[in-house]
Amino acid sequence: MGYRITAKENLSVIDFFMEVEAPHVAKAWKPGQFVVFILHEKGERVPMSVYKADKETGRVSMFIRKLGKTSLQLYYEFNVGDELWSFLGPLGKPIKVKYYGNVVFASDAVCGQAENYATLKAMKEAGNYTISIQSFENRANVYPEEFLAKPVADEYYLTTEDGSVGIKGHYLDVVKKLIEQDKVDIIFAGGKLGSLAKLAELTRPYGIPTITTVRQIMVDGTGMCGSCRILYDGEIKFACRDGPMFDAHKVDWDDVIRRDSRFAEQQALARERYLAKLREKGVI
Amino acid sequence: MAVRRKLIKERVPTPERPPKERVKDFKEVNLGYTFELAVKEAERCLQCPYEYAPCIKGCPVHINIPGFISKLVEYRDNPDKAVREALRIIWNDNTLPAVTGRVCPQEDQCEGACVVGKVGDAVDIGKLERFVADYARKNGIEEELLCEFEEECTGELGKVAIVGAGPAGLTCAGELAKMGYKVTIFEALHKPGGVLAYGIPEFRLPKEILDHELAKLNRLGVEIKTDHVVGRTVTIEELLQEYDAVFIGTGAGTPKLLNIPGILLGRIYSANEFLTRVNLMKAYEFPEYDTPIAIGKKTIVIGAGNTAMDAARSALRLGSEVTIAYRRGREDMTARIEEIKHAEEEGVQFEFFLQPVEFIGDENGRVKAVKFERMRPLEERDKRGKRKIVGTGEYVTLEADTVIIAIGLEPNRIITETPGLKTNPNGTLVVDENLMTSIPGVFAGGDAIRGEATVILAMGDGKKAAKAICDYIEKKRAKANA
Repeated sequence: MGYRITAKENLSVIDFFMEVEAPHVAKAWKPGQFVVFILHEKGERVPMSVYKADKETGRVSMFIRKLGKTSLQLYYEFNVGDELWSFLGPLGKPIKVKYYGNVVFASDAVCGQAENYATLKAMKEAGNYTISIQSFENRANVYPEEFLAKPVADEYYLTTEDGSVGIKGHYLDVVKKLIEQDKVDIIFAGGKLGSLAKLAELTRPYGIPTITTVRQIMVDGTGMCGSCRILYDGEIKFACRDGPMFDAHKVDWDDVIRRDSRFAEQQALARERYLAKLREKGVI
Repeated sequence: MAVRRKLIKERVPTPERPPKERVKDFKEVNLGYTFELAVKEAERCLQCPYEYAPCIKGCPVHINIPGFISKLVEYRDNPDKAVREALRIIWNDNTLPAVTGRVCPQEDQCEGACVVGKVGDAVDIGKLERFVADYARKNGIEEELLCEFEEECTGELGKVAIVGAGPAGLTCAGELAKMGYKVTIFEALHKPGGVLAYGIPEFRLPKEILDHELAKLNRLGVEIKTDHVVGRTVTIEELLQEYDAVFIGTGAGTPKLLNIPGILLGRIYSANEFLTRVNLMKAYEFPEYDTPIAIGKKTIVIGAGNTAMDAARSALRLGSEVTIAYRRGREDMTARIEEIKHAEEEGVQFEFFLQPVEFIGDENGRVKAVKFERMRPLEERDKRGKRKIVGTGEYVTLEADTVIIAIGLEPNRIITETPGLKTNPNGTLVVDENLMTSIPGVFAGGDAIRGEATVILAMGDGKKAAKAICDYIEKKRAKANA
């Protein structure tokens, strides 16, 4: 039995949207939790953030970057009506949804952009004042309006690093201003690891609670393999089971960033091989 | 007057693939008996009477060992009949003989107790069990017996949910199905089998054999829902609303890691990660398969149990030189003798009395060496009968560009987060003498209650729990009808 793809759409030149029928996951999912899927019998287990999960229709949707071999294959070879081999979840611990006051969610890459929407929606329903910041590199990377977190934010900022759309700059610049305006009670963030490490240093002196997704290479996603281990407050924690959201001030970011490149050579090899195959077939 | 059998001291060896050939692939090392060889080995059994047979007492699931062995000799002129009768006897107590015949530590159990073993080599019970299972599978005999069993599996007596499709869960499921219950197994991974699927390499337990055992359960009406993490996808509480009872067989799925400097360096794996990538995800066929593994030229495996041997021999097959470093001595290694022997034959090196104290990294953040403290054994022994060890203050550094840590496991904490489920300080679940947990109607067995043990002990628990679950549901029904 597989899991049927019910929608697929380009978000930008580098990211795409995909919706999958997986009622067992949709029923139980809460913001902050992720899924693990496998494309086919020879596929790898890929952890992925969730954009929306609809209990009624049993569908789960994700934002995915056309980056590694698996995501490229998903983009080029899997279409609406096709099935994914395995779809597991929800995994990890949900975020604590309660009243905090002013809640900011900042993101600058695909996984964070998905969580931006889900987290702020839940936070708004809990009575918080919600502020969303979504950063993209340039105009070509910006998502269509209907996929942005704008509708669930009381205050919304879109930035591009080259200034081609929205505010010129990065979410870190906006966060700085919001802190100066004393507008941040808690901040959540996801996306690029380097930015999250910088964010942790930005908010640390102010003592602003900073909860971030710690993306790590995983295999099973249930605490069984230890691949996603991080050093947290001097202790070993597993991102899949104890996270994926952690207090950014307690994370050893240097190690997290280094561990993220553990399979860089193999990933590059698989990607190149796959791209060559696509070229041979005339797909790209 | 009983016939006095002549005691043959030496075992009939099973054919094995030569070390130089087998380290090049992941195919099975031991080739198993032919019928002729099996009969010859079976003849060495002294046929101790059922009530006294030490082998039966030594087996955690009490298989009638002399019983099944005698059939091989009795019907030596009719191999099909011999195996059919032998398998019938084994299945009474154990429905997974192709697995246990391969992975049980027989030297500590049935074979360890064997009377012949007091004067010569113990009867090779494991290999005979495996022979019966393999022959039956290949020659359609299992199929015949399954048809007989199928009719009993009505699924009418009640519904039971099982958490985890490992040895404990699979056994519990099979037993309950045979008793007439409708069983659903919830498995987190995409493939059932638990440690049999992700942990034990193909060269020890071929996947086709595991798949076959799982198909057998399907025939008995057991449903397996993969991609379901109990505690996340569905809770125990939710299961109790739909099922009459629940059995937890989640094993000891979380690796223990050494909390020493450098543990986060690249190419330091837990044995679970390494074996899952290699076995379950077939990283040895990367990039044909999508899951990668990064391994260097010199691997150090830390630990000396079966998992350490499996990891070491897998690393060899991936082209690395391998050294097993153990903090105790040779005699304290916990792996099966056969696995240690196979590892040695294949070229795994062993270093004893070395306790890792630091992992040293290179400029790329990858491990390049391991610093150890030399240990010294004392006369005094610990609770497990192993000699205690102390540090000597002397250090050695061994080069390694890959490290695999196989120092043990602890129970998976997702299940223990269940409200009301009591745990021991080591994370194992608290159960009563009927294997019932602190939540009425929820039972548990295997490594989830034992910490770390063997496949066969987990299966023994699964079997015991099945009986207890049956009693529990019957009592509940009687009460409701009273």
